[in-house]
Amino acid sequence: MEQGIITAIRTVPLDHYVLLSFLLFSIGVAGVVFRRNTIIILMCVELMLNSVNLLLTAFSAYHSDPRAQVFVFFIMLVAAAEVTVGLSILVMMKRNVDSVDVNQLNRLKG
Amino acid sequence: MSALVLLSVLGVVLLYLGLFSGRGILAPVGILGLLAALVLFAADWHLESTLFGGLVIFDTYARSFSLVLVVVTVLLFLFGMDYYAKVRENVAEHYALMVFSLVGGVLICSFTNLVMLFLGIEILSIPLYILAGGKRDSFRSGEAAFKYFLQGAFASGFLLMGLALIYGATASFDLAAIEAWSAVTANGGNMLFLLGLFLTLAGLAFKVAAVPFHFWSPDVYEGAPTLITAFMSTVVKTAAFAAFYRFIANIQLPGAVENMLVVMTLFTLFLGNIVALRQTQFKRLMAYSSIAHTGFLLLAFLGTDGRTPDVLFYYLGTYALATVGLFIVLTLAKRAALGDENIRIFRGLFRRDPWIAIAAMLMLLSLAGIPLTAGFVAKYRVFVLGIANGFIWTTLFAVLMALVGIYYYILVIREAFTPQDQESKELAVAPINWLVISLCGAGVVALGVWPGLLRI
Repeated sequence: MEQGIITAIRTVPLDHYVLLSFLLFSIGVAGVVFRRNTIIILMCVELMLNSVNLLLTAFSAYHSDPRAQVFVFFIMLVAAAEVTVGLSILVMMKRNVDSVDVNQLNRLKG
Repeated sequence: MSALVLLSVLGVVLLYLGLFSGRGILAPVGILGLLAALVLFAADWHLESTLFGGLVIFDTYARSFSLVLVVVTVLLFLFGMDYYAKVRENVAEHYALMVFSLVGGVLICSFTNLVMLFLGIEILSIPLYILAGGKRDSFRSGEAAFKYFLQGAFASGFLLMGLALIYGATASFDLAAIEAWSAVTANGGNMLFLLGLFLTLAGLAFKVAAVPFHFWSPDVYEGAPTLITAFMSTVVKTAAFAAFYRFIANIQLPGAVENMLVVMTLFTLFLGNIVALRQTQFKRLMAYSSIAHTGFLLLAFLGTDGRTPDVLFYYLGTYALATVGLFIVLTLAKRAALGDENIRIFRGLFRRDPWIAIAAMLMLLSLAGIPLTAGFVAKYRVFVLGIANGFIWTTLFAVLMALVGIYYYILVIREAFTPQDQESKELAVAPINWLVISLCGAGVVALGVWPGLLRI
């Protein structure tokens, strides 16, 4: 990793990165739990994953260890694959009920 | 490891076969490929081979679980020959996605690095999201796919956060390095590590459907196509438990995390068994039964010693055998009842086909844990393990719940042996289905009588 970038990242204390990541993660969780529009829920899931990416990058700079950054690439890859599948399922659902409201999903119960 | 490469290539080959030739050869080719992978797994049995620069290690533990995964997939493919016989489109994709999912399962049986744990779980899950929605024009299948996807993605977010925090505390993704770190540090005091463990275990608990992360399981089991439900409750569950154990066996769990596991076990045992009592849909019943079995398996995790892998292996293997057979019986009965899934459809099964009814009874008794079937030995070993490790009250509670559990299995058996009021459609049993059901039915008895046959 470029030494200048590490120094730049380290100008902010690690705790701040951790807190920011937790904040973003919590916003994501709250969005998944409370929002009813499935597209927004998908965006919130992405927010959760990206907050983890941020955290990993910060840890990586502080541990001077590039492995976490490689993991970030894997996470991006998986997130892309996941969203591809998720959006296709969303399209299928839209075709079936003509809505993207999660409250429509209530036929499986018991 | 050549078996892993073979499986990945097999998936691609199946996809191409779907483009160019008839549906008839898909399952045979898939089964041949799986059998070849089986041979490769078994070839150098006690050799430990590492892969991907040490991210994955194929030791005896990984090989044994991989073998079970492949064997169960072969059984499901045999069932698939009949199940997909009338389906016109996308059959190749179903087989290919199951193989891809299996690759993920093999990876999480053998990971030594948290990166591989995450990737394996995702490779296992993403094909499943698609498979759960396999019936494109069915609303219920779509709903199952969407619920599974949403909750799965949510859970992987938690898992990832947990992994990131563990990395933050220990500066490594490698299991051995994390263990070395936790041995020298008083890990109970490190907030990052503790929180990381909690979140990671929550993510893993989601995959094995432990309470309170079980909400997806009944809905997804009910909505997904039956073959996929069988796949989820056998292959995926086995792989997830193998990964779960691999994770907690390699990390010294702090007391707080251990207490969380105990609480999770108690709730899983209670909720799985009690809610199953009032189920009338067979697939939902199997879902809650699956949650209940998760509880028994978690009990084996509580105090881990040298016997735990063996106990887990035997339990998961016999559970998978009984479950596969029962889902095939369900498909047959469901066809005769024109798509109904209520347990009433089993009524008169003994009159219509005595052998199938007896095999189904054996499998249900095995799930209930009646002596002479494999399920009894499996439960017995879990209880012995629990008591030996000092979790006496938890084990007693588990025994009590096992007794409660017998009721809802017997309920299904009673339906099968009650004569029918009016004559219904004849049960059409394809020879291949008959073979698989007989194998499963005979298997649970054989393994119950000779438990030594199935061990790591």
